[in-house]
Amino acid sequence: MIEVGDLSKSFGDKDVLKGISVTFNAGQTNLVIGASGSGKSTLARCLIGLVEPDSGSILYDGRDFMKMKDKERKELRKEVGFLFQGSALFDFMNVQQNVQFPLDMLTTLSSKEKKARVAEVLERVELSGADKLMPSELSGGMKKRVGIARAIAPRPKYLFCDEPNSGLDPITAIVIDKLIYEITKEYNITTLGITHDMNSVLEIGDQIIFIHQGYKAWEGNRDEILVTDSKEVLDFVYASEFMKKAKP
Amino acid sequence: MGNFVFHLGKYIMLIWRVFSKPEKFSIYRRRLFDEMITLGLDSLGIIMVISVFMGAVITIQTAANIDSAFIPTYTIGFTTRQSTILEFSPTIMALILAGKVGSNIASEIGTMRITEQIDALEIMGVNSSAFLILPKIIAAVLINPFLTIISMFVSIGGGYAIAMFTDIVTVSDYVYGIQLDFKPFHVAYALIKTAVFAFLLTSIPAYQGYYASGSALEVGSASTRGVVYSSIVILVANYVITQLILI
Ligand SMILES: Nc1ncnc2c1ncn2[C@@H]1O[C@H](COP(=O)(O)OP(=O)(O)OP(=O)(O)O)[C@@H](O)[C@H]1O
Ligand SMILES: [Mg+2]
Repeated sequence: MIEVGDLSKSFGDKDVLKGISVTFNAGQTNLVIGASGSGKSTLARCLIGLVEPDSGSILYDGRDFMKMKDKERKELRKEVGFLFQGSALFDFMNVQQNVQFPLDMLTTLSSKEKKARVAEVLERVELSGADKLMPSELSGGMKKRVGIARAIAPRPKYLFCDEPNSGLDPITAIVIDKLIYEITKEYNITTLGITHDMNSVLEIGDQIIFIHQGYKAWEGNRDEILVTDSKEVLDFVYASEFMKKAKP
Repeated sequence: MGNFVFHLGKYIMLIWRVFSKPEKFSIYRRRLFDEMITLGLDSLGIIMVISVFMGAVITIQTAANIDSAFIPTYTIGFTTRQSTILEFSPTIMALILAGKVGSNIASEIGTMRITEQIDALEIMGVNSSAFLILPKIIAAVLINPFLTIISMFVSIGGGYAIAMFTDIVTVSDYVYGIQLDFKPFHVAYALIKTAVFAFLLTSIPAYQGYYASGSALEVGSASTRGVVYSSIVILVANYVITQLILI
């Protein structure tokens, strides 16, 4: 469980997050939605300390992240898997090495166990056989999937996925959504997903928060989002012609 | 001036973190090996080509400037050796490498910064500055003295080729000159310089890349700054070391 209290962040005179309070529960896929530039990535980066928030509190199962020293934060981060929006694969390592790297750094698994774990997660993201390729030889969607494999390989307690299925074809996108949903339940992970994909929202959104102009403008689950009376949310959800047609 | 002090402080703090305790040594060993190949072996070709022409030109120019009959022609060999060992092989090679290796390091690390690879390392509990920069510094400090020695031989060989193929100086005079009054200490001095330059030409571009932000454009200018600043600092360091050691 991650409890966020009154979190604010501005860059220069630009207020990006204005007092966000939200609780992300374990074993639940928590999704953050909102327009491009609304501060979703910034929220995720604040939670893990890649960006230092201006004020607010962040509790990881009661542990106060804001009060932690660098060393303690480093320890906590070992429990975190993070998929970056741009995948952030290491250029100088192949797929196998990329996925194995956090295992080398964070776990005490034997090299045989590591190999097995890498093979297992690569299979889950449907990339068995791509293990010897370099990041430059992968398509955008493949990079994303390797990024997910790398994030989940050490079996994190907290999983952050910044746009896990953007750039994927609809079928693979569903596969990835399902994967995230399943491992969240299977290992009781506190998952925070950032997405633009309405399909994901409706498929796997156990809890959804909508960020609008720096505020948390709405919060609810996948059933509630379809029948909300919040205008901003409705504008967002039914932006596409397809969704308008599908409107209940 | 304030800006200079700010960057100097930030640079020193980065270097401090680079040399703090590494987390898993085995990971570094592999990186160090890779870096020795990229920084060392891959620079060998350019070092040899430049050195052979450098030695040839020093020989010709020295000959052209000696027009007094009282100065013996073996002075040409002597001067070629001295300039090569004291200045050209350590300093010019460092400047060439600052251009080649420096821009490479700054853009590699800068790209990793803007594509969030450095953030990814930090999240995995890795000291990203040490992981990325330390192997480069150590590899260069270990490998560059060998490059300098190779450059010395090749440069003096370039002069030898001039002696052999032209009638500016006879081979026997040249060979006599390059052996005359040889002080091994001069080689030590050159190698100390090389090691210091190696540290500068890796760490300064690394600093520029590490703190790059924004777009690919910014990585380009970080790379330019890395080359320019490391070249200037190398020349200043050259002066300081020479003053300290040689005088
Ligand atoms: N390091 C930074 N320095 C200055 N401004 C920043 C920085 N990071 C983000 N911003 C600004 O904060 C705002 C929110 O950015 P953020 O990346 O969080 O948006 P986002 O909701 O993730 O958008 P997208 O859906 O396009 O990924 C943007 O206006 C951006 O310009
Ligand atoms: Mg984003």
